[in-house]
Amino acid sequence: MLLTGLDFFFWAAGFVLHLGLLFVLWYRRRARFFPFFAALITLSVIRTIVLYSVHRYGTIFDYRYTYWSLAILDTMLQICVVYEVASRVFRPLDVWAEDVRSSFVWLVSLSLLVAFGLTWLSSAPGRTWMQNVTTKGNLFASSLLSELFVVMMALSINARLPWKTHVAKIAQGLGAFSLISVLVDTGQSYFGISREQPAFLLITHVRMAAYLGCVTYWMINLWPNEQPARMMTHEMRKKMFTLQMQVDYHLKDLRSRKKW
Amino acid sequence: MNTPNLYFAAAIGIFLSVLFFVAGYFYFRSRKATPANWEDLFTKLTWIDRNNIAQVALDLVDVNGQPKMDEDAASLEPSQLWNLIGGLDGLEVLERNSEVLIDLAFYVQRWYPEALPIAERLRLDARELKWHVARLRGAAEKGNLQISFPFYAQRAVVKYYVMTRRLLSLYEAANLSTLADLQRAL
Repeated sequence: MLLTGLDFFFWAAGFVLHLGLLFVLWYRRRARFFPFFAALITLSVIRTIVLYSVHRYGTIFDYRYTYWSLAILDTMLQICVVYEVASRVFRPLDVWAEDVRSSFVWLVSLSLLVAFGLTWLSSAPGRTWMQNVTTKGNLFASSLLSELFVVMMALSINARLPWKTHVAKIAQGLGAFSLISVLVDTGQSYFGISREQPAFLLITHVRMAAYLGCVTYWMINLWPNEQPARMMTHEMRKKMFTLQMQVDYHLKDLRSRKKW
Repeated sequence: MNTPNLYFAAAIGIFLSVLFFVAGYFYFRSRKATPANWEDLFTKLTWIDRNNIAQVALDLVDVNGQPKMDEDAASLEPSQLWNLIGGLDGLEVLERNSEVLIDLAFYVQRWYPEALPIAERLRLDARELKWHVARLRGAAEKGNLQISFPFYAQRAVVKYYVMTRRLLSLYEAANLSTLADLQRAL
């Protein structure tokens, strides 16, 4: 496989930026709050090293096999990141907010159906079955992820559940990249997967550039701390605890009455 | 280049348009709805007669928000309720105010993460209030407002009343300097 200087530039830039983001995640102690996101970025670093080694020392078959295997793992981790973001937003008290649970389940089901529908309608542009499966898989994943981020945003705003700064930044970056990926995957489905096609190369580079922008966005926004929390005094904590007990009691009491 | 798949192109076009529209709509709605500071939040509260609210609520619950069991409970007539609440318009003001109350509770929670359980309970209360108001809107569309109003409206007012008490207690517990302003408004 012949790679151009621009391909190597994107490869190197991606590696450096991922290392930078990984540094931010560990040094600023974000990784323990976002383990799946940290795993996704770690995988990206490992993937670059592995793919470079396979490209240099392995066969084209080895490269394709490694590339698509890691791509599947990457997609699975992206879905885990969606879960991570959703659980931060919709589980404010470590249980799913009861008023959004059913809406969330049916909207996720609808998103899955739409993503399946789009994938089924798309053309099979590759020369081999593996290329076709992966192109369709990419389209499925990017359309599903972009839908899920919009669903999460709409549901949280509707239910007035606030987003913490870092969760919002991760979701915005991944959501925007998923939307761009839908366009890129549509383009690949239309133009086909062949490095001889200038259009294919162009849209592939657009996707890479968008992703680099996304990684830079995460680096910049995950570095500063969120709103600093103030510690309650013992007296304040006691008052808050009493209030919380009262609220719990009233809520149970009111809800136990059927006519309410 | 592949043969253009018209169905796919149309489906992607519709898909992206819907996605961008929904994302844009909710983004601008959230930008409009959530002011950055306390003063802006506070000015979003619409003035309502708190004596009327207390009178309607205390007809069903006591000052601590517990349902009354005695014979005096639920003694207000439907026409009195309508006048005190201000009809469906009055309830819509309560609904809007309840959203501001949630924002005010989450404002405290930004500084004191330990206040999250109370902010979350207020949010759930507000959802119940919205549910009561939605039932009344449905009844109004079907022409059954007069029958449904006393039942749902009074319970919506109780929810609002309990929310205001909780929010005041929260601000009191957090020793916030803005408590006095809030007490005057609620």
